[in-house]
Amino acid sequence: MVFMTNVLSGFFFVAFSYWLVIARTRRQVLAAVLAGVLVVALVSPPQAQAQGSLVAAIQSVLNVINGLIKTALNSINSVRTSISNFYQQATWPVALINQAKATVTQMIGQYRSAMQNIFTINLKSATLPNPTALENAMQNHQTNDFASLTTSFGSTYGSVPNTAGASPADRTMMDMDDALAVDNLKTLKESDAAGDLTLQAADNIENAASQAAPGSAPFLTATAVVASIESQAVTQKLLAAELRQEAARLAHENALRKRGTTMTGDVNTQILNLLQRK
Amino acid sequence: MRNAVQSVMRGLSWAWGHKIRTVLLLVAFTLLAPNPIRSQFVDPCCAILATGLTTISSTLSNIIGGGLNSILSVEKSISNFEQSVVWPQNLINQARSLVGGVQGIFNQIQDVMRIPVNSATLPATQQFEQNLLSGDPNQIAQTGAQYTAVYGALPNVTMASPQTRDMIDMTDATAQAALKRAIEIDSLADLELQAADQINQSIQTAAPGSAPIIEAQADAWLVRANAYTQSATADLMRVRAIDLANASANVKNGAANAAAVQQQIYNLLKRQ
Repeated sequence: MVFMTNVLSGFFFVAFSYWLVIARTRRQVLAAVLAGVLVVALVSPPQAQAQGSLVAAIQSVLNVINGLIKTALNSINSVRTSISNFYQQATWPVALINQAKATVTQMIGQYRSAMQNIFTINLKSATLPNPTALENAMQNHQTNDFASLTTSFGSTYGSVPNTAGASPADRTMMDMDDALAVDNLKTLKESDAAGDLTLQAADNIENAASQAAPGSAPFLTATAVVASIESQAVTQKLLAAELRQEAARLAHENALRKRGTTMTGDVNTQILNLLQRK
Repeated sequence: MRNAVQSVMRGLSWAWGHKIRTVLLLVAFTLLAPNPIRSQFVDPCCAILATGLTTISSTLSNIIGGGLNSILSVEKSISNFEQSVVWPQNLINQARSLVGGVQGIFNQIQDVMRIPVNSATLPATQQFEQNLLSGDPNQIAQTGAQYTAVYGALPNVTMASPQTRDMIDMTDATAQAALKRAIEIDSLADLELQAADQINQSIQTAAPGSAPIIEAQADAWLVRANAYTQSATADLMRVRAIDLANASANVKNGAANAAAVQQQIYNLLKRQ
């Protein structure tokens, strides 16, 4: 830009000089002068701004920094400080977090052993050898001695008579009754073992809660809910077993009723036949 | 050299002869000659600019730099608090590890509950027991026939009174419904255990911010499980209600039979 300005100025000066030199009359000189003045007036660059406007611009920048930006930064700082205080004093106060953990630990000490002691009180009451063996098998929370349970059950309640000892209908019903009874005793052993494992899971979750942070507690809560679902599923299996048992008892009574009506019908028929012969 | 001197002399001669034009050319030359460069040290404009920039720099350092440092300090404080108190990484990892441990316990529970409990010894009862313990809803269609094979069919009209046939049919229906419901409940419980496994595995890979979402899903499953438990409990109550109704019907039949016997004895005595 500066180079172009210098070239144009030089060109103008040469042209103006040439015109003045070759001018023959005073009118031509005057015309050249007027033309030169006119060109200079039209083409000359604008005057530099005064120093006063630069000072004003600097002051304006300073005013923006000291006013708008300073206020904004102070506001942001104030809000962030407020959030920090809110987190530390209202949302996650360390004192209350520690207090909650201490409460968990205190309750573990207060209740866990006491409840375990209550739950492990010996409830056995049988006195004779066969019932004692059956009672032991029924209440030992083991799932690897089902054969022993079946044997003890047979020893205590007897086994299904052979074909000469009872009618097929009786043998079928006895076998079904015994089967459902033993099934449920086995299911109860499974449920006892599952209950022990569920208590173990609850202990583990509670132990972890005593050392948790607000951010890790949701994991424990979620897994505790999952444990509740598992426990609910086991409860449902127990209910299903109880349903089978109650239904079998109902069916048993109903089968006896059917047999009674059949026998009554047979007796009626026989009496009628007897009277007809007379 | 001589030519140059002659040219200068000729130019001076022209200037002497054209004084006005010479003055005009000098004025034009003076006006159009390039301006000298202003010194940065001497020019007052540059001095003011330098002072202004220094002031701006100082103000930026103090006001903006100071303000940003204060904000940074607060942000660091919040970050430290969140990382050490609210979401400490080691405790999050510890919680995930615990979830994995609990999963192991769940697996043991499921293994225990899958141990077969079949005990029947005769063919018909073995088949029926297998059906009842299958936990397979597709086998419900065979339950009725197998039930009849074990517990007998409804007596025909010549063998029992209508009241007795009604009672027997109602009792069989309730017992069969309960047995079928037991198969359903076993199947539902298996599915719940399967879902619980999946949810627990999701928790092991969750973040503190996503764990509550998984927990919400687990809560929904728990609500669902409670509903199925209620349903099973209702079926159990139905069975017991029918049992009670049967006991009552027996008493009613007994009373009716006693009245009939009394009437027959009375009629017999009147004939004599």
